[in-house]
Amino acid sequence: MSAQFASGTVGRGFGDRLILGATIALAIVMIMPMLWAVGLSLKTNQALLIDTNSVLRAPWTLTNYYDILIGSGVFRWLLNSIIVSFGMSLGVLVLASLAGYGFARLDFPGRNVIFVLVLFGLAIPEQAVILVRHQLFSDLDLHNTYAGLMLPGMSAPFGVFLMTQYFKAIPTEIDEAAMLDNASRFKIFWRVLLPMTLPAQATLGIFTFLHAWNDYWWPMVSGTNPQMYTLTVGIASTQQNFAESAGLGYLMAQAVFAFVPVLIVYMFFQKYIVRAVSGAAT
Amino acid sequence: MPGIELKNLIKTFGAATVIDNVSLSIRPHEFMVFLGPSGCGKSTLLRMIAGLESVDAGEIWIGDRRVDQLAPGERRVAMVFQHYALYPHMTVRENMSFGLRNVRMPTAEIDKRVAAAARMLEIEHLLERKPGQISGGQRQRVAIGRAIVKEPHLFLFDEPLSNLDAALRVRTRIEIAQLHQRVEAAMIFVTHDQVEAMTLAHRIVVMNNRKIEQIGTPMEIYSRPATAFVAGFVGTPAMNFAPVELTDGPNGFVSARLPDGVTIPTRIEQASLPGSKAFKLGIRAESLRICGAEQGDTAGVAQFVERLGDRTLVYVRLSDGTTVVAEDAGTSRVALNDSVGVKFDGACAHLFDDQDRGHHAVADVGS
Amino acid sequence: MSAAAGQLSDLGQARVQPACAGAHQSRWSHLLYVAPYLFLYVTLLVYPLFAGFWLSLHKADLFGGRRFVGLENFSRLLQDQVFLGAVGNTFYFILLTVPALAIIGLGLALALNRQTRTAAILRGVFFSSSVLSVTIVTLLWKVVFAPEGGFLANVLEAFGRQPVAFLNDADLALPAIAITTIWWCIGLPMMLFLAALQQVPRELYEAAALDNAGRWKTLWSVTLPSIRRTFALVLIIEVVLQFQLFGQAYLMTQGGPNNASRPMVLFLFEVGFTRWDVGYAVAAGQILFAFIAMAAFAQYLIARRKEAF
Repeated sequence: MSAQFASGTVGRGFGDRLILGATIALAIVMIMPMLWAVGLSLKTNQALLIDTNSVLRAPWTLTNYYDILIGSGVFRWLLNSIIVSFGMSLGVLVLASLAGYGFARLDFPGRNVIFVLVLFGLAIPEQAVILVRHQLFSDLDLHNTYAGLMLPGMSAPFGVFLMTQYFKAIPTEIDEAAMLDNASRFKIFWRVLLPMTLPAQATLGIFTFLHAWNDYWWPMVSGTNPQMYTLTVGIASTQQNFAESAGLGYLMAQAVFAFVPVLIVYMFFQKYIVRAVSGAAT
Repeated sequence: MPGIELKNLIKTFGAATVIDNVSLSIRPHEFMVFLGPSGCGKSTLLRMIAGLESVDAGEIWIGDRRVDQLAPGERRVAMVFQHYALYPHMTVRENMSFGLRNVRMPTAEIDKRVAAAARMLEIEHLLERKPGQISGGQRQRVAIGRAIVKEPHLFLFDEPLSNLDAALRVRTRIEIAQLHQRVEAAMIFVTHDQVEAMTLAHRIVVMNNRKIEQIGTPMEIYSRPATAFVAGFVGTPAMNFAPVELTDGPNGFVSARLPDGVTIPTRIEQASLPGSKAFKLGIRAESLRICGAEQGDTAGVAQFVERLGDRTLVYVRLSDGTTVVAEDAGTSRVALNDSVGVKFDGACAHLFDDQDRGHHAVADVGS
Repeated sequence: MSAAAGQLSDLGQARVQPACAGAHQSRWSHLLYVAPYLFLYVTLLVYPLFAGFWLSLHKADLFGGRRFVGLENFSRLLQDQVFLGAVGNTFYFILLTVPALAIIGLGLALALNRQTRTAAILRGVFFSSSVLSVTIVTLLWKVVFAPEGGFLANVLEAFGRQPVAFLNDADLALPAIAITTIWWCIGLPMMLFLAALQQVPRELYEAAALDNAGRWKTLWSVTLPSIRRTFALVLIIEVVLQFQLFGQAYLMTQGGPNNASRPMVLFLFEVGFTRWDVGYAVAAGQILFAFIAMAAFAQYLIARRKEAF
């Protein structure tokens, strides 16, 4: 067992079991809303109108999921989310890697001042710039385009900060060995240092992907055409007519359709995702 | 294979001079060791030769090629780094061939060289592994292999043994010496460890405070140290020093009178010394023998006894308060606070003048 | 010497470069690596920020009409009951969520800081909600809080109580949003505390055990003092995050009933994107920025203090 646990190394009696029991109870509370949504999605809208407790009893049905398959914007939104999230992640990785290498390894006039100014950007919340940015994108005709949805996320300084730190942590001996191996400056970056930053790339990529996938405000005000909705915006749009036109079961089926894939991905990449999110915070 | 010539090298970082007018010539196939305390400039000098630090003034020649303005990869030198600097994402084979592929060498030739180097270093079974999957000693061999395949005119080693444990360090040291037998190129080896320097070098360059103190064979460095710094830095335990007054001795040699009044006859010629009066006597522990309290040139109290097995070092406090280290047999019975006599072998004594320059006995001693 | 080696030295002669250790030399061309990012940074972050400063001094609307009004937007904000209410709601919301997140997160971290399979699974469960988007989270919790057929309503009815319309009750709307938020965000503080607990040297616990310290004594005198810095960091990070409350309130209550759950960011959004009173909204954004910049500065100061204990 972990030596870090506060009780020390000996003795795990009643107290430990009590704590474990309480934690498990809390975990059940934790997943209850998700289970409730899954249950609702498996009932017909008519059955739910009478009594939502009927989720505890058969019959269950997949009609709501069938309805999604045949006529719903969900697939289009899913596609948009995938395009935007991958595009933004790729953009951030490329820009942050280049800039991180530049700040960590190359000297150019004003480097340190510029780096500090970029770090100040970490403290600028989106809300402080979103209105002007919205007007700017109107002027540039970028609303309702994929570029319009992706570009703001690429301007965030976090990736540059992370990659700079990571490049700095690589010993310069490696660069020097490569210089003696006749590698050009770009080759040192591309073939030697960049592959060594893969763990940071994974962290940054996952973090950016999650951010893009879950982002709500900007895609809502920029991608106003339903054809350009991301999954997050699309699901939100259905809540306006909550339980009325579409029906509760159908609505929950959409939600389940949206969050189950995310949870499955999360289960496989849990270690990296946790590191990405925690790393971004500190 | 060419020799190497350094001419009046100067290097500054801002206002600080880190290499101060250093000149040096290295013969073909010579094994040269740069020895000195940390911060003395020895690594900077090595990196200037490699091209990793720019040269502010002076010239570096390898054979008839002036290289100090060439990029590192173009100087035909290979370097083994302190922390190996292997590329962690490449296999051992890729690590060794990276530099050759960068100059578009034919694949067949690359394979031939890598295979030959791997055989020589006994790392053939590791070629497809990555650096993270092999031990520290094996990494060291790969780093050496990466240098060998380039068939350079000059090998540079930057404290390559400092990361190894004691046993492996000795083994690798021997292997580097053997490697030197097999290749024709010259080698420069930077270290702060005098044992490495003494055992490996044809010649040692002792550096201190950005300058060269002495260039010489290991025995010259040990027996005829050019300066007080060299005398104190090389040898374990460090040489004993004491201020002395000089008097005329027999046969034109000088005698030195220690602070406690004892006079030691030396074999240093009066005529070879400068006129000044302030001299320091330097004498190694092995030239001071422990004997019975009444039988020595002088006597004192054993303050500390270090038993090394084959010999025993005794720190003796003389009547005037100075402490000297003297040697006794491994079976010595000297105990703490014993009164002991100390016998000086004046023929092995050195004198250092007020400029810290060394003056030595006429005949080569100690060899 | 082989032919290929000759090739090597030919190459050396062919391209004589003036500088060897080029990286150490300051060159404009090195800027090319950072230029692409800097371009986006300046156009999409720096320019909007400073244009915002300027814009907040104007009466500006959607149609491009713009008139310099000095600090009038700010003085209007200070008299705007809806805005002041939103500021109050924001701080109330922070008070509801941040201490709870820190304490529950710490409790979970202490309980789950062990290398058993159960603990690993439970850690995964408590972090799982953090990967969901705000729209999913609010959808899930709306069907929990719904007065008719909601999960909580069913539970209350099962105990013979009247269902409560949480989201339509001025006193309960913000606490309900707070519960939703705690559920959504609990993963991060837990993970940060777990990371900190892993950093506490094992020797400290062994020393405490040799000193006959019991479980609670060890917790109070070894564990908690060791993670003080992390505790402060978690508080500040969460203040910054929860200050930006928007989606939950927008999607669950639209700020109602009677403005009772309208936070600052929702105010900014409504003024800026539905009333299109752009200058006024940007001014509100500046005030928000000031608050967050202060918290971020505090975070920087704490993060800089490297000593862990």
